[in-house]
Amino acid sequence: MGMKYRQYLAGERIYGCSTCKTHLATIHSMISRAFNGQHGRAYLFDGVVNVVEGDPSDRQMTTGNHTVRDIYCCKCGQKMGWKYDRAYEPSQRYKEGKFILERNLLMDVQ
Amino acid sequence: MRSPELDHEPPMSVSLESTSEAGPSYLTLDKVANSNGYTNGKSASQPLSNGSSAGLHNGAHSHPPVSRVKLPGSRLYEDLLIDREEYVRLVIQSLRDVGYIESAATLEAESGYSLETGYVSEFRQCILEGSWSQAEALLPRLGVVDETSLWAVKFLIGQQKYLELLEAGKTAAALQVLRTELAPLNVGSDQLHSLSSLIMFSNPKDLCERAGWDGASGTSRDDLLFSLQRHISSTTMIPQRRLATLLSQAQLYQRQQCFYHNSPANPQTFSLFMDHECDKEDFPRVTTTILEVHTDEVWNIAWSHDGRYLASAGKDKTAIIWRIGHETEPTSRECVAELVLRDHEYCVGCLAWSLDDSILLTTADQLIKMWNAKDGTLLRTLDEHQETVTALSWLPDGSGFISGSLDRKIVTWDSDGKKRDSWPISPMRITDMAISPDFSRLVTVGMTYSSPPDASGDRGSSPALAGDDARPPRNQVIVYHMDTKEVAITIPLGGELTSVKISEDSQFALINHAPHEVHLYDLVSGRLARKFTGQHQGHHVIRSCFGGIDNNFVASGSEDANVYIWHRDTGVLLEVLSGHGNGSVNSVAWNPQNERMFASCSDDSTIRIWESAPPEISMMEPEPPIGKGKGKQQWDGVI
Repeated sequence: MGMKYRQYLAGERIYGCSTCKTHLATIHSMISRAFNGQHGRAYLFDGVVNVVEGDPSDRQMTTGNHTVRDIYCCKCGQKMGWKYDRAYEPSQRYKEGKFILERNLLMDVQ
Repeated sequence: MRSPELDHEPPMSVSLESTSEAGPSYLTLDKVANSNGYTNGKSASQPLSNGSSAGLHNGAHSHPPVSRVKLPGSRLYEDLLIDREEYVRLVIQSLRDVGYIESAATLEAESGYSLETGYVSEFRQCILEGSWSQAEALLPRLGVVDETSLWAVKFLIGQQKYLELLEAGKTAAALQVLRTELAPLNVGSDQLHSLSSLIMFSNPKDLCERAGWDGASGTSRDDLLFSLQRHISSTTMIPQRRLATLLSQAQLYQRQQCFYHNSPANPQTFSLFMDHECDKEDFPRVTTTILEVHTDEVWNIAWSHDGRYLASAGKDKTAIIWRIGHETEPTSRECVAELVLRDHEYCVGCLAWSLDDSILLTTADQLIKMWNAKDGTLLRTLDEHQETVTALSWLPDGSGFISGSLDRKIVTWDSDGKKRDSWPISPMRITDMAISPDFSRLVTVGMTYSSPPDASGDRGSSPALAGDDARPPRNQVIVYHMDTKEVAITIPLGGELTSVKISEDSQFALINHAPHEVHLYDLVSGRLARKFTGQHQGHHVIRSCFGGIDNNFVASGSEDANVYIWHRDTGVLLEVLSGHGNGSVNSVAWNPQNERMFASCSDDSTIRIWESAPPEISMMEPEPPIGKGKGKQQWDGVI
């Protein structure tokens, strides 16, 4: 793979990992705040950076069956949320390729 | 070619000892020329008087007078634009320089050309002896008649006279020179003032230091002659050692044309009898050793200053100090992983040897670790940066080092790890940094923000973030003055910058620029001097280096698993060296003590040592055998 530095984001509000402050996403790429995760409120983002993706698995959620991957902070390994690979319900397709980050695991960073 | 009669005449060896005894010598020529009232040495009648004087002085030795050879035209060869007179006079000059006085005189007689008029040698003599007024009196005879030249020459001579008087402690006489000779020349008041201020230095040593002048007994009179030369026609007074200067230029040209040039200058490699060219086979292009102890990608390597140790670091969270045996024969050399430095919580990115090679610095994310390079003891862990430390550079005086980081901070540390001071926060996240060897500049490269990954690229898992179009330049080179910490030059650049190195002469910075380029910047003008292309660099931190004699080469890693080497001054791609396994070659480093050895490190977890092919191995190209002995010499059982 080669050496890579972690990416740093710019913008009004940057969300980082609450454990190690690694940049993850900006408010510009946020799609929705109306999600719930294992630790309460969660946000849906169009794109995130500095995460490692786990293996895909099918999960039954309140909005139907989805194929998702857990995502982890690339520096500290903390599980931050998940990524939607596939939504079985046609009405939920908009989530495909998008990311969930759990609010309680995020902090504002510079 | 020497003429046979000169060779066989015994008295000649005696007469060489004393020029007055010698036949058609230069000095006698002068006297004749002077008495005849010539002002210009190029008189046709000179050879005649020369010949007769030779006869007078040399009659006892029965040396036959040399008759003048008359040649048609004025060129040395019909088809070359080389003036015969100029050429012959240069030969005479060089003959006289090395002591072949007789041959020079014979050549003067035979060719009808004389080196210079007697006035010139008299003038030279006057300057070297310090007979200033006599020297000035000769100026019109040297053709220095126009006002500007006359003024400049008088000033130069007056200045030397003044300084010498000061040096000798004759302050009053010096002042007299200043008032009556220099001041009337209407020199700028600044110059006059700085000259007069030198009177305060009673100690000659201080005077010389202040004036940048090395005294009457030093080279100052030779230097004065050199400066005067500019104001005297070169036809009248040929610049000293002119033929040697021309030959040196020819050698320089040949060296510049020798793309694989990697040998120290000596008479064996630079014969006048043939054009110089280094043997391509001597160039380090064959792997002689493979170092295999790392268990994951190797990201960075650094040679100790003595060239006997190589430090490596990477993704397996270790740094390794390898002892590279100094045997010149690769087959008998032992390369051992002497110390494995663990205790890193994260992947290891940077390495920096102290000037005495006693301390090795490593970085793992935001931490800097100081190691005893001899026994592997962890000396200190420096926790000052908030983000990944991307650059470490020891100060050229060895008193400490500087760290740079993605957190925009630049920090100076003492060699014991005590924080000395912080630099102004950088406007960019620093990705690499280097201090020029002359201690004058700090060159930083970095990014103002990181561009989001390309949604259509191979990392489609993280689509582009919105709103990133109207941002300022993403990547920059910022050059600081070391002493004032002020910005000297800022160069905005398009692509990601991952590495910066500075040439030995502190003139050039070598910067890896994604995609696929290595740039050479002139640090004085801030201009792009050259681009090296061919290597692959898209997403990863790829590093390059200078290498070889006079930093004649530029080498870089590449994402296509090859090592790329270019000729620095022309940008010609010399070598694309394959051998590393899949993945990127992340860094290359030339041995600082051995211009015929460099190392490369790769995602394939190995480090390769590259050298010229030993004669018996070159038969077995392209691939050297890879042994299984971890980190040991790889030739075992094959040769």
